[in-house]
This record gives sequence, structure tokens and C-alpha cells, in this order.
Amino acid sequence: MSSPIAEQRFRDIVPPLLDDAYSLAKWLCQNPTDAEDIVQDAALRALQALSTVSVDRPKPWFLAIVRNAAMTFMARNRRKTVAYAGDMTDLDALDLRQSDDAASNPEQELIALEDGQRLRQAIASLPSPFLETVVMRDINGLSYREIAEATEVPVGTVMSRLARARAVLAKILRSDP
Amino acid sequence: MTDLNERLLRLNAALDGELDAMGSLAFERELRDDPAIAAEYQRLTKLRDAVRHHAPREAAPRALADRIVALTPSAPAPAPQAATAPAASVVPFRRRAWRDSRALAMAASFAVLGFAVGAGLTSLRTPTGSGDVAQNLVSDFARAAIAGQPFDVASSDRHTGKPWLADRTTVSASIVDLAPRFPLVGGRVAVIDRIPTPTLVYRHHEHLVAVTELPLRAKGASGTGAIDTIDGYHVARWSDANLAYVAVSDMDETALGEFVEAFRRGGGPATEPSRP
Repeated sequence: MSSPIAEQRFRDIVPPLLDDAYSLAKWLCQNPTDAEDIVQDAALRALQALSTVSVDRPKPWFLAIVRNAAMTFMARNRRKTVAYAGDMTDLDALDLRQSDDAASNPEQELIALEDGQRLRQAIASLPSPFLETVVMRDINGLSYREIAEATEVPVGTVMSRLARARAVLAKILRSDP
Repeated sequence: MTDLNERLLRLNAALDGELDAMGSLAFERELRDDPAIAAEYQRLTKLRDAVRHHAPREAAPRALADRIVALTPSAPAPAPQAATAPAASVVPFRRRAWRDSRALAMAASFAVLGFAVGAGLTSLRTPTGSGDVAQNLVSDFARAAIAGQPFDVASSDRHTGKPWLADRTTVSASIVDLAPRFPLVGGRVAVIDRIPTPTLVYRHHEHLVAVTELPLRAKGASGTGAIDTIDGYHVARWSDANLAYVAVSDMDETALGEFVEAFRRGGGPATEPSRP
């Protein structure tokens, strides 16, 4: 089914990226077992694709596959998270000045930053486009250009999503728990 | 509003190291001259650091990693195989070894090393299936090294490492103290033929060596201490009365040879570790 070349490429590319792939999948679907299924599915897709393509930048390439596999998985198995279009417009409409208004309580934010559980919940509550951007940047360590490639949006969109996501995180953390 | 958004985008881009040289220069000037920007930048930095700290990249479960490796047929299937198995696994293995351009180039340049690589291939062709175990452990080593997580428990103290490994494996690990030349840095569990086996990780300057301890009956674990090269890594196999050992390292052959000698001298459950 897969050619020896594809297999060799696969062995070079995929195993070193498994931790990144698993972390991304787990954040997107919020469930360790589902994350394993998603990564396995993504690996199969990657193996098939590698018969016909060679890859210059393996990390954004494979993480894009993981992301798409996660979306397929969520669309098939979940009800909630796929309907994020509404959330996204809400968040896009968010005036970033709000983050300045709330800066009246910076101590609260500093205290909240120590609370890992609360921070993780805040991250998990971000709508998917913002969540995936933050995870790819701060957890997977992709550059803006690589995130743009992996999520198929312009770099400008990556920038505004990241800025908004961080502003929202700060806002959640500043509010009373 | 537009200016404000623009400013936030630039703050974030600066935080992520995405400004070009001129942009960085201008931004540094702003940081110096505008306390509000500096405060905001510091706040963003703390948030980013907290995200990295509390939501770190997670290691993929070992079982998942094993399933992924098994997707390519020349990687050994986890299930025990029938008598035809060695033949099935040997051909792809040789093919891969010959595709390894580094191995080819070195074999061409150095007759002696060429002989060593050839000897390694010969032993892999024997029906012990030793290539399976070694290839598995080399993949394991490469994966751990690239992921920046060479061990699951960090410990330079063999009295901490031993109970950790004992809880997770069925093989009783003998942990040898080889400091200061090869300090112990930690341990992890490798799964060989579905048996969790203890792996000790030692450091030598910037290099690592991982020693996996296997039951003597483990397929292909036995060896005489000769060093093979697999996928650019050096692999040594030896055994004592109780266990078989496979060491995988990115050290050069000589250093690995010295490590193996020191380990064998210091090892063995009956003797206290001696320092070379």
C-alpha cells in the first residue's frame, strides 16, 4: 500500500513529532483517548500522503494533518465544539481595549497565573481557531508563518488570533474565579 | 482602536520573536521610552511563560508511539511472530541500512569501519532477529533525544531510579554508578516484545547513552560486546549471567566501547560498583 520511500520518509518525519502531535490533539479534543485515535489517524494519512509528496517543513505539515484529523474526529463524534463560528465572530468583535480596562486588577491576574488548573481551563475554553493558534505557538513552538501554513489562514489572521486569544486569557484570569 | 490593535499585534509579535531587525530596534526604543508599553510587554511575557509552564508539551503515550512505529512494515510488529518472522524482517532492515548514506560513505572511506558495519549486518541476518530489538531501541533513543525527553525519571541517584523502574518493569535493573565519567541522569521504560524493560540513561559530555536491560531469553538480545552502527547510532550488545544488555548511543565508537567496559566492570548484582 505504501511504498518503501514513503515508509522511509514516514520514519524520518513522524516519530520525532509524536509528542507535539499528541499535545495538539489532546488540547483540541480535550480527551487523552480521543487524542491517541486522532494521532493514529493522522499518522495513517501522513503515510499515505508521503507516497506522492516530499515535505520541506515536516512540523507544520504533520501538525496540519493532526489538526484536520482532529476536526474530522470532532465533527463525527461531538456535537459542541464544531459550531464555533458564532464564538469566533464574538471573539473577533471583541474590542481589544477591554484588556486595558480590566488592567485595574493586575494582582488578580498575577495570582491566577500561579494556578495551573485555572489557566488550563481558561485555555481550554478558547474557541478552536484561537485555541489551536495558542497551542501551536506556545506549546508546539511554531512560527507565525508555520501556523499560517498549518491552519490555512494568512499570517495577519494568525497574528490577530494570537493577540486576541492572549487578551481573552488575561481577561479570564483577571476576573474573579 | 486601529492604533491600539496595531500596538497589541506588535507587542505579541515582539514577544514571539517575529519582528524583523528594524522592527525590533524601533520596539526596543518604545520599551525604553514608554512605561505603559513596557508594563504591558512584561504582563504578556508573564502570561506566555505561565502558559508554557502550566501547559507544557506532553509526551505521547508509549503505546501510541509503538503503534505508530508499527505502521511501517519493516518496523517489527508488536505481536510475537511465527517461524517465518526473521526472514520477513531481515530484508527491509538490510535495505534500510544500505539506504543510510552515512553508513555507505563511512564504509567506503574506512575499510575497518566498513568491516564493522558489515559484521553488524551479518549478525542481523542470523535468525536471532537481533535487528528487531536493536532497531527498536535505536528508534526509541532517537525519539527520546529529538523530543528532548531522554528519560522519564530524572535521577543521578541509583537508589531513586531503581524503585521507580522496579514499579514499572518486570526486569530487575542493575544500576551501575559510573560517575564522574558517565554520570547517571535518569531512567525510562522501553517496551520490547510487549515486555516493559528498564532503560538507564547516562551522560558523557553532551552525549547520551541508553542501556536497556533484557531477560536473557529475549529474542536477539544476546551479543558479545561488538559495536554495530544502526541509522547513524552506535549499538553495543553484551550479556552477563543474569541479563542481556543493549546500549544505544550518539557517542563515538571508542567512547561507547569504554562505557561498555566500565559498565561491565562495575555491573553485576553481586559486586558493589567500582569506579574505574
